[in-house]
Amino acid sequence: MNTRIIAKLDVKPPYVVKPVHFEGLRRVGTPSVLAKKYYDQGADEVVYIDIVSSLYQRNIIFDEIEKTANELFIPFGVGGGVKTIEDMSKLFHQGADKVFINTHAVQKDPTLINRAAEIFGNQAVVINIEAKKWKDHWECYTDCGRMQSNKDVLEWVKEVERRGAGEILLQSVDHDGRQRGFDIELSKKVVESVNIPVVIASGAGKLEDIKKLIEEAKPSGVAIASLLHYNKNTVKDIKDYLRENNIEVSK
Amino acid sequence: MSNTIGIVNYGIAGNIHSIKKAIEAAGGKTLVINKPEQFNKVDKLVLPGVGSFKDAMQELENDEFIEPLKNNKKPILGICLGMQILATVGFEYGATKGLGLIEAEARPMLVDSKVPHVGFNTIDVVNDNELFYGLEGEEYYFMHSYEVINYTNIVALTKYSNHSFVSSIQRDNIYGVQFHPEKSREAGIKLFKNFINLKRRG
Repeated sequence: MNTRIIAKLDVKPPYVVKPVHFEGLRRVGTPSVLAKKYYDQGADEVVYIDIVSSLYQRNIIFDEIEKTANELFIPFGVGGGVKTIEDMSKLFHQGADKVFINTHAVQKDPTLINRAAEIFGNQAVVINIEAKKWKDHWECYTDCGRMQSNKDVLEWVKEVERRGAGEILLQSVDHDGRQRGFDIELSKKVVESVNIPVVIASGAGKLEDIKKLIEEAKPSGVAIASLLHYNKNTVKDIKDYLRENNIEVSK
Repeated sequence: MSNTIGIVNYGIAGNIHSIKKAIEAAGGKTLVINKPEQFNKVDKLVLPGVGSFKDAMQELENDEFIEPLKNNKKPILGICLGMQILATVGFEYGATKGLGLIEAEARPMLVDSKVPHVGFNTIDVVNDNELFYGLEGEEYYFMHSYEVINYTNIVALTKYSNHSFVSSIQRDNIYGVQFHPEKSREAGIKLFKNFINLKRRG
């Protein structure tokens, strides 16, 4: 099976920003322009996460989403501050194919996952996880890595699968934006814990990091942000490199 | 012939928008169909589908689409769940009667790998079909946990972790694709182009 190469946009409307450790935001462009650029480079999907909506307790801003969706003929996942079925329905109507849930399910009401899966189908419900490592375990964080939840990542991933989630996006608070490689140990454990696809984010600093992650953790997809935003590599560079190293990716 | 493609709009979850956009990129005219009376304004139909088999059939019933779809003679293209509900019966959240336009069942994918099956995958056209003209071996985007079991109307197969499943079916004017052409780059737009250009049978 092809490993999916996904472009991740962290958005503080109306800009795509690139946080380091989920802090210190730098503007890198606008969502619709970057999405089109990565689509043209051959990205398999684009993910759009409004990283401040949950933190500031406001609703997700819809304008940029529709504009971004219009540029794409590939799947488009959207998340950030999703609290209700109505929020999700609105996102699907704006052109989202999948919706990411984090804070509300972790901190308040995990049954949102069950309801969403029954209405929208499990393939459309993705759980976004912000993992932070403690001495001997990983904990789920929310709101850009600011809020603890006392939920153990490896237990939570099994719970969300039982509740009907169709996919997991695993981000690492410790590794995000540092470009020093992925948390391979955690990635491997999460991939092996569930039967649903797992997409890994946070840490790609060079092409070798992506290869190492795929070979060792075997995720269904890899989400890339900094490498692309800072024009260190294009999606095409990544795919060409992986193919040369006998890792299957789509055209 | 004006060749307008009608997109059947039912339920709360449909991503009509991206299908409309892709058909228009393929050079087609579209009409979003909110009630069955609009069927006579279009030449062909697209039946999208997001959600579960059970919900989709319920929504079609609520909007009184079931009988008009069963009686429809125009070319129709079911996409993803829209292909699955062409079948006689589905087993998502209990057994539910489908439209019964193709002798088939929609059952959970039985595969030794992650489900849902998500991502670009290659199609193997096993029976020549106008819908796939020039598209043999192309990659399309899949996103599904259920598959259609059928033996007599198979157009294309796709392999997922050594499991071969039906990725396209056709009988008379009824076409179905398990993947999302509207999410499959140029190859998807070309498929819509073929659908726009194909002649009505019978």
